[in-house]
Amino acid sequence: MASSSNAPTASPGAGLGGLAIAIGALFIAPFAFVIQRNAELGVDLFDEVAARTTLDPLGRSLLLGVTVSGTAAVVGTAFAWLTTRTDLPFRRVWRVLAPLPLVFPSFVGATALIAGFASGGLIEQLLAPLGDFDLPNIRGFRGAWLVLTVFTYPYVYLPVAARLGSLPPSLDESARLLGRSPWGVFRAVVLPQAKGAIWAGSLLVFLYAISDFGAVALLGYDTLTEQIYADRLFDQARSMALALLLALTTVGVVVLERRMRGQLDTAQTVSSVELAPVPLGRWRWPAVFGVVTVVGNALIGPVAILGFWAWRGMTSDVASIGRSFDAGALVGPAIRTALIALVTAVVAILAVLPIAWLTARYRSRVGEIANALVVAGFAIPGVVIALSIVFWVLEAPLVSSLYQTLPLLVLAYVLHFGAQATRASQVAVAAVPLRLSDAGRTLGATRFRRLLAIELPLMRPGLVAGAGLVLLSTMKELPATLLLAPIGFDTLATNIWSATEAGALAQAGLGSLVLVALSGVLTWLVVLRQISHY
Amino acid sequence: MTNPPSRTPLRLLFLGIVLVLSTVAAACGSDTAESSSGPITLYSGRNEELMQPLIDAFTEATDIEVEVRYADSAELALLIQTEGDNSPADVFISQSPGALGLLAGQGQLQELNSDLLDRVDAGFRASDDTWVGLTGRVRTLVYNKDLVATTDLPSSVRELTDSSYAGRVGVAPTNGSFQDFVTAMRNEIGDAETAAWLEGMAANGSPNYPKNSAIVEAVGRGEVEMGLVNHYYNLRAVEADPSVPSVNHFFPADDLGALVIVTGGAVLTSSDSPAASEQLLDYLLSDEAQETFVAETQEYALASGVANSGPDGAPALDAFEVDTIDFDLLGEGLTGTQELIRSSGIEQ
Repeated sequence: MASSSNAPTASPGAGLGGLAIAIGALFIAPFAFVIQRNAELGVDLFDEVAARTTLDPLGRSLLLGVTVSGTAAVVGTAFAWLTTRTDLPFRRVWRVLAPLPLVFPSFVGATALIAGFASGGLIEQLLAPLGDFDLPNIRGFRGAWLVLTVFTYPYVYLPVAARLGSLPPSLDESARLLGRSPWGVFRAVVLPQAKGAIWAGSLLVFLYAISDFGAVALLGYDTLTEQIYADRLFDQARSMALALLLALTTVGVVVLERRMRGQLDTAQTVSSVELAPVPLGRWRWPAVFGVVTVVGNALIGPVAILGFWAWRGMTSDVASIGRSFDAGALVGPAIRTALIALVTAVVAILAVLPIAWLTARYRSRVGEIANALVVAGFAIPGVVIALSIVFWVLEAPLVSSLYQTLPLLVLAYVLHFGAQATRASQVAVAAVPLRLSDAGRTLGATRFRRLLAIELPLMRPGLVAGAGLVLLSTMKELPATLLLAPIGFDTLATNIWSATEAGALAQAGLGSLVLVALSGVLTWLVVLRQISHY
Repeated sequence: MTNPPSRTPLRLLFLGIVLVLSTVAAACGSDTAESSSGPITLYSGRNEELMQPLIDAFTEATDIEVEVRYADSAELALLIQTEGDNSPADVFISQSPGALGLLAGQGQLQELNSDLLDRVDAGFRASDDTWVGLTGRVRTLVYNKDLVATTDLPSSVRELTDSSYAGRVGVAPTNGSFQDFVTAMRNEIGDAETAAWLEGMAANGSPNYPKNSAIVEAVGRGEVEMGLVNHYYNLRAVEADPSVPSVNHFFPADDLGALVIVTGGAVLTSSDSPAASEQLLDYLLSDEAQETFVAETQEYALASGVANSGPDGAPALDAFEVDTIDFDLLGEGLTGTQELIRSSGIEQ
């Protein structure tokens, strides 16, 4: 894993640098594929990009990315602070529910929200006896912005909650004793502490928003990704040119974020004394209302609609509906989904840890470049990642026998979702005080033993937080799974997709409920219990 | 706050290693060697619920095992294109002729034998013999019967550019079936008039949806009054919820709007089991399989001799006058369709 040399801690060993370069090279694969296709198709990139029909969707993508990451940052940070630092009622319940909206595949979540909130949807029907309500139109920018915000704020919530949970609240207390209001404490103390985590989460949200296809397409908001999708078959030159544009934009944004964010947060020792939470006072019930609104729209609402579909299918006496309804058929996919997602989470952590070590410990340039590649991979559409693996693997002599087997599927997931583990891993590495490793060395512990006995335990909360995000994303991944999984290896996501395609809403609803429940259980077992304050 | 149980990371790491190893082992186990007598591999763009019973019946009848990868037709075409000569697939079944045309244009589809091709009418197979039609769907205007009076329904798709339809007709310009429809329109009335129709639909502010099913759902909710779709999406919507007020309106058989879009099958040039592959397509054109398609999806059966009334209220198959597949326009020519759609401004 890490360097085996006994070099002084001021510079990374050659082994670690080499490992980071090798891992970074893997993450180049999708970019190299897009560039290769552009060259092969003879694309005049400037021509395609300068066209009005490209610039408009690009502008819409950026607008959506900036607005969604802005609102997700506000919602996620406020939510994290309320559940970790205040006397918000039912805190434990909110902590379990808060990360879950992340588990909805975009096409399921958006479909459910549209079925509920759109003009003529279930909510209007429910309200009909009370009078003639006309809900506002949620199509277009407004709808895409709201739907993406409620499904992505956990990218901010999770790291910020982990950060706030690992810092001593003593400053809060001092600030409070000095007469600050809850808002004053939040601004003067909490925000500076959580800044790095907020930036990192917002970047993931931005990348998710500009690369999302499912929600924006259903809501009729024409972004760059929708154009890439529309042209993927019959105008491949343009589709690949736009994919390259998206990739370049992404790398640019990642570099820009790095500059704006500044240095990583400095590690602070964990307090062993739990102090009293900030009393919200008269803000208590408005805060509950806000939390209920977010969880209601992001989780309870979609779950209720999915449950309604499943219930309608189970109770229907129409033979054609019951025909496709089979709860037992979901057991195998559920097990496969959980296993592949756990494996992917572990592999993703192993892959990004050396890079995180380099960037957090040594501020290494190689590490920074590899890190930018890993992060940018999150904005490459899943289909492109899958096709890049097809392209490179089938050309290669030895690995080609692994084509459409699980190891390469896991590789596709890691290339796509490794980004979500990078920042948490950096925080984890920063949490290991240098003097502890040095003390271990002085006592004659081998490199591997120091890693296992000293460093891993200290890094655990950070690594687990990163692994949790990868886990949840992998569980819902669809395009790469459809193309690269071994035949017969169906997951919950492919099952839901298949039912949706067949118009079997009952089965799709049930499958989605199982996915949400399974994600909740795994999040609790694997992630939340491992992070302090849970 | 946290008590550091030093064993936990060790256990986690160990668990991870075991999981990785078991994954690799499972993968190696499933990686059976390909041989000409082994199972054939089908990439199916049609869904599992419809296809798998037919595939099982085929295996029952012939002892030929079939491994099926289910995904979207367009994605499977891209996959086959990227796999090239190394594709593990033998057979490709597509929801849309465009995806088949793309692969034919890349030289990735074999010429099929004439017995197989002759099972369908010449209008429903590739002119270069690289693929054969299996079933047909018809383009239709789905409408909400609570919001649209039947007297308001157009008798031609070309009337939809009239300002009285502004904002009332949903379209899916990024969807394969809409693209196939525009390609057929170009073939019938030329690029200039097709562009004018698309621009008229754009000027009418026709709401965009990503696919047929989303249009049918929106019409059912009353979010939009009408929409251009393939016929069977509404049949499924009504099946799932009989109270839904969406209804199919079929254009007359001689109208551009009444286009039959075929689903088709092909054998890849990279296949090492072409005979067994053709046997599978042959089975899908048998009376038994064709009747299943008709019963499940109300599609038109394409094999000659099979009764095919098509969807309720739709014209008979032989009444249609619009050329369903113009082969010169498939494959490379479809780029022109994309450019036409894009420059019309209908995507909004």
